[in-house]
Amino acid sequence: MTEPTESLITDEHRAAIGQRGEPVKVVVREADARRMRDLLNDTDPRYADGTGIAPPYVLSGLAGGRPGGAVPQILPNGILTQTEWQFLKPFKIGQELQAYGKVFDIRDRLGGRYGYSILVMTGTEYVDEAGDIVASTITTITQFDPAGLKS
Amino acid sequence: MTKYFEDINVDDEIEPVDRTPTEDHAIDFWGRDNPTNPAFRDAEVGRRQGFGGALVPGMLKIAWLTQFVSTWAGPESNVKSIRAAFRRPDIAGRPLTLGGRVVDKRQEGDRNVVELEVVTLAEGQPSVRANVQVEVPSKP
Repeated sequence: MTEPTESLITDEHRAAIGQRGEPVKVVVREADARRMRDLLNDTDPRYADGTGIAPPYVLSGLAGGRPGGAVPQILPNGILTQTEWQFLKPFKIGQELQAYGKVFDIRDRLGGRYGYSILVMTGTEYVDEAGDIVASTITTITQFDPAGLKS
Repeated sequence: MTKYFEDINVDDEIEPVDRTPTEDHAIDFWGRDNPTNPAFRDAEVGRRQGFGGALVPGMLKIAWLTQFVSTWAGPESNVKSIRAAFRRPDIAGRPLTLGGRVVDKRQEGDRNVVELEVVTLAEGQPSVRANVQVEVPSKP
């Protein structure tokens, strides 16, 4: 594949930067917590059935594990290249949270493993009924065209 | 077993553990009814995307690393944050070794904060590097 000689990021894409998306309701589901806990063989008694508390990594399943907000899809594929999770309060089973997503940045990258690629940095805050942030994530997805992937 | 702040030292290492991710791990992590990247469950799709097989979800690796530190620190600890850089893709069926060591410990007000560097190693090379902050109790 010939790499683009100009950025594929348009003004329309850039307009998404800084925009906070509409909140999305997510629920900390017992079935999700149990399935993940069992998959990881996590026997921590704090997260056992009946405690009402979900393990922190249940965060990865909220909103299907995808960042909130309108994230421009500029190249056909994407791979997670950086992430940060912060936990401020425990996740309670059955708890309804509002997920607020935001696009922080969109930028070109040249010459890496993926050839010409585009880095999309997003953040999501999970807010409880009291208005407190329970957890937050910052995620960088590298969008790429497989034709440009280097061995 | 509970780890107390006073018993933790910089350069303490966490005993490594091995994990072998599979396509089923990727599917079951989010549940069979939830759509995910098809490259997680189909090696052919992963190959078409240039990865050489079914891709191991980064979220699964972060979940493993979070649990790895939480298990080491014990049931009175709280993982407060994890910040990870994915250095290279991992492929289902290839074993990973989780390892880590303490890089800092400090008191912030009444909180005992321990920082660790953790990694997943594939064939001896780091595929994920992460920093984890965990709060641990003081000795009673």
